[in-house]
Amino acid sequence: MSAAPLVEAENLSRIFDVSKPWLNRVIERDEKRFLKAVQNVSFAIARKETFALVGESGSGKSTVAKMVVGLLPPTGGAVSIDNVDMWSTADTNERQKLRRRIQMIFQDPYASLNPQWRVKHIIADPIKAFGLATDGAEVEHRVGELLRLVGLDPADGHKYPHEFSGGQRQRICIARALSSNPEFLVCDEPTSALDVSVQAQILNLMRDLQDRFDLTYLFISHNLAVVRHMAARIGVMYLGRIVEIAPTEELFRAPQHPYTRMLLDAVPDLAMTGRARKMVEGEIPNPISPPPGCAFHPRCPLAFEPCTVKIPPLVAHGEREVACHAVEAGRI
Amino acid sequence: MIRQPVLSVRNLRVEFPTRRGTLVAVDDISFDIAPGEVLGVVGESGAGKSLTGAAIIGLLEPPGPISRGIVELKVRRIDNLPPSQMRPIRGKRIGMVFQDPLTSLNPLYRVGEQLIETIRTHLELSEREARARAIALLKEVGIQGAERRIDGYPHEFSGGMRQRVVLALALCAEPELIIADEPTTALDVSIQAQIIQLLKKLCRERDTAVLLITHDMGVIAETADRVAVMYAGRIAEIGPVRDVVKDPHHPYTKGLMGSIPALEGAANRLVQIPGSMPRLTAIPPGCAFNPRCPHVFDRCRVERPELFPIERSHAACWLLVDDTAKATA
Repeated sequence: MSAAPLVEAENLSRIFDVSKPWLNRVIERDEKRFLKAVQNVSFAIARKETFALVGESGSGKSTVAKMVVGLLPPTGGAVSIDNVDMWSTADTNERQKLRRRIQMIFQDPYASLNPQWRVKHIIADPIKAFGLATDGAEVEHRVGELLRLVGLDPADGHKYPHEFSGGQRQRICIARALSSNPEFLVCDEPTSALDVSVQAQILNLMRDLQDRFDLTYLFISHNLAVVRHMAARIGVMYLGRIVEIAPTEELFRAPQHPYTRMLLDAVPDLAMTGRARKMVEGEIPNPISPPPGCAFHPRCPLAFEPCTVKIPPLVAHGEREVACHAVEAGRI
Repeated sequence: MIRQPVLSVRNLRVEFPTRRGTLVAVDDISFDIAPGEVLGVVGESGAGKSLTGAAIIGLLEPPGPISRGIVELKVRRIDNLPPSQMRPIRGKRIGMVFQDPLTSLNPLYRVGEQLIETIRTHLELSEREARARAIALLKEVGIQGAERRIDGYPHEFSGGMRQRVVLALALCAEPELIIADEPTTALDVSIQAQIIQLLKKLCRERDTAVLLITHDMGVIAETADRVAVMYAGRIAEIGPVRDVVKDPHHPYTKGLMGSIPALEGAANRLVQIPGSMPRLTAIPPGCAFNPRCPHVFDRCRVERPELFPIERSHAACWLLVDDTAKATA
């Protein structure tokens, strides 16, 4: 990447306090308990790039997304978008201006649209909130344009969300996200609630829109095939940490981290190539009491002594970064 | 096939009588499953997959949906049995695995109690024998420390472990057929792989037939021997899984396969099927897929295609038999 990145996350961390109430702790002599949802996550996203975070449930993908857009304050580290810190108090004014340029698309198109609002009001809301158009006719024209852009009919604006199918609702969410002319979209599992043929429509639409408006995407998904289709670079998360970041091609051609390999092996073999696969063992441990050292070591076929003691740092190898003692020691 | 099929379904039809007329959710479906065979049923939401499964084990009760047609389990009709005779078949001869392992286990009872109750309902065993069998089953589905965990409650198990318990429940009376409705949809991909392997292994060992209902073509490709692709309540294509996945004949199956992002090869633009599946209130005449089909011609809009044999599969498409259409397609 030559130009300065648009989005930079540095040592982003989020700890949730999941302790029982004070009185219970006193009576039951319980300790405070903390869930480290995200720990020291760093990445950079270049302009017009799609960067994906992939991982299983509980790996912290969505928490990262929320911290990046400013919905959840981090407990450590920083996010900056176009050199404006999303969380420092010094940049308040700058940040207000930044808001328009960031939008989010959520997983569940049923829950992310207000059922009592007509679609045209849903889409017009950001336009009015950011003062992008004041005159009623102008707003209406813009809403029609956006609806057409996502493959709906401008006349659909009069309907309510319940009159649309899941795929159409996700199109409405995209139209709403685009209404403020954003540069950066955070997409949290945008297609996992949809059927595959509808998913294909939405993914194609998102790629077309990216080309047309030079959008930058942070794409969050648990589906490796979807991520491969959309992203230029991928970060693989496990129990709150990034274990490997690599350009998509490289990650799929030669995955390095044992967890990445396991994840790739676990995907059903639709091409029926009969490729050799290793059986996956074990399950994700409880994040409240993660194993010491590398969190993956109890499931890792390559684990050796240092893995149980020391958390492996992300080490760069060319464009790829891997956090694994075994890789560093050349055990792969 | 020389062996008698375990399950034989003929012209199954599920209807919902409503004030605005009868809605047909499953329309004239026929298939057989041989012993030890895994038949996958794949389709998108609303294609009628789950209703097919529910109709087979007689879980559709009036005044709700009505099912017609013939369902035979080992040559004996089971669709017209009274509830008292159907009850011993469910659970004993046909096991069920549902999507959400948390709702298919009772949260108030220990896992062991649920297993032992099911075992003793179907098999004449003493409490102690049933417990021993339950522990053996839990071991077989890969639950470590089964002797201890049998006294745990469902919430003490993770999602994957719960689905293993459900699998043990389905297998506890050595059924001839297992109906698995989206058994891995609620699970993470690494756990999904484990459960699929387990289901396959257990059924192969026991020669149990499986009806595997899922929306995930990947799971089908991994697990099934044959696959039926459903669209708007009808079977669009049925055949050996390799043929259907690699070389589909029905335009819908082709579109469906093309719309799945691949792990290998170039990340090209995905194939897009325009529009969406019709609602039950508005299934078009003729072939249900005709408004979305790129090769549609006059006959498709009028006449409903039956399943025509093509190579080793069957597909319901006029293109396969109409020579003039073939030339232009």
